[in-house]
Amino acid sequence: MAEKRITIQATRFDPDKDSAPRLQSYDIPFSDDSMVVLDALNYIKAHVDGSLSYRWSCRMGICGSCGMMVNGTPKLSCSAFLRDYWPRAVIVQPLNNFPIIRDLVIDMDDFMHKLKSVQPWIIRKQQLPLGAGEHRQTTAQIDEFKQFSQCINCMLCYSACPVYGLNNEFLGPAAIALARRYNLDSRDQGLTKRLPVIADNEGVWECSFVGECSVVCPKGVDPAKAIQQTKLDTTLRFTLPYGNRE
Amino acid sequence: MPSTWWTRKRHYVLYMLREFTAVPMAAWLLWFLVEIKRAGDGPARYNPHESTAFVIFSVVCFAFATYHSYTFLNLAGVIMRVKLMGRTVPPRVVVLTMFSLWAVASIVIAAVLIGFAR
Repeated sequence: MAEKRITIQATRFDPDKDSAPRLQSYDIPFSDDSMVVLDALNYIKAHVDGSLSYRWSCRMGICGSCGMMVNGTPKLSCSAFLRDYWPRAVIVQPLNNFPIIRDLVIDMDDFMHKLKSVQPWIIRKQQLPLGAGEHRQTTAQIDEFKQFSQCINCMLCYSACPVYGLNNEFLGPAAIALARRYNLDSRDQGLTKRLPVIADNEGVWECSFVGECSVVCPKGVDPAKAIQQTKLDTTLRFTLPYGNRE
Repeated sequence: MPSTWWTRKRHYVLYMLREFTAVPMAAWLLWFLVEIKRAGDGPARYNPHESTAFVIFSVVCFAFATYHSYTFLNLAGVIMRVKLMGRTVPPRVVVLTMFSLWAVASIVIAAVLIGFAR
């Protein structure tokens, strides 16, 4: 029986040598139905072309490092099975809406800056004394924010968001979802510190609810839901009596 | 991003269609204002059901308005977090309630308009 093969077309771009990115074709064995795009890239790097550059780490969909465009859709390359594309060619490109550093590696500085701006950590007005013990939470309190805590910062949502593509100032789905995660956490007291960033024109109000961010999210975070709920909550805070309560 | 970005995926096309629905609805409201002015000039000048163009345009705009309402109400379950007796109401129940209220409001308004027309 002839060996099954598959064509991978990967973006190549060396800023020192190339004026623009280009696609390079690799024909590789498709030996196992459990092979994912990341396996294909690793095969290429190990056996065909060692110069191909890309990010990856856990190869099990939890670190968020291997986000790429696979046939035009943002995906984790460790979770995109070749069997879903074979016998068609698989086109692997760097994530949309981010500058390319090299080949499939993108510059994520803008995302990191936006993430930091929402202060994604527990903010307390006053720390509990050690003797008071840990912050206790009921299951119901955890359920309030649990979905939004599943974000692995893979940036697939930014890649899918046409608003971010058209306006890089937009805070973006993941940052807002994480801000909501902490705003809903019963241990947190930092809502008013995050509000100037998330309730800004370039915050939640730039979102027009395309919803593609939630479609591509590999962890079911539903950032579109987080953004729309934040819009409603911030509006009610502004309009209702005692809206500026802590 | 190219100006044709929205043609890349079905979801983007449906999104643009949803956003576009505001245009025919606004156009219909402007035309409706003209019809109201004509009604003010007396019944001899006002026969909207004999204006074929207005009827056809109204039917087209009604389709856009229905799609606009459908997409908006469908998303209500995502936007609204309703708590009853300490438990979160499932999004499907919120959506069902919104559609029910829409149906009731439509029936009431239709009944009032038909009642006035008689």
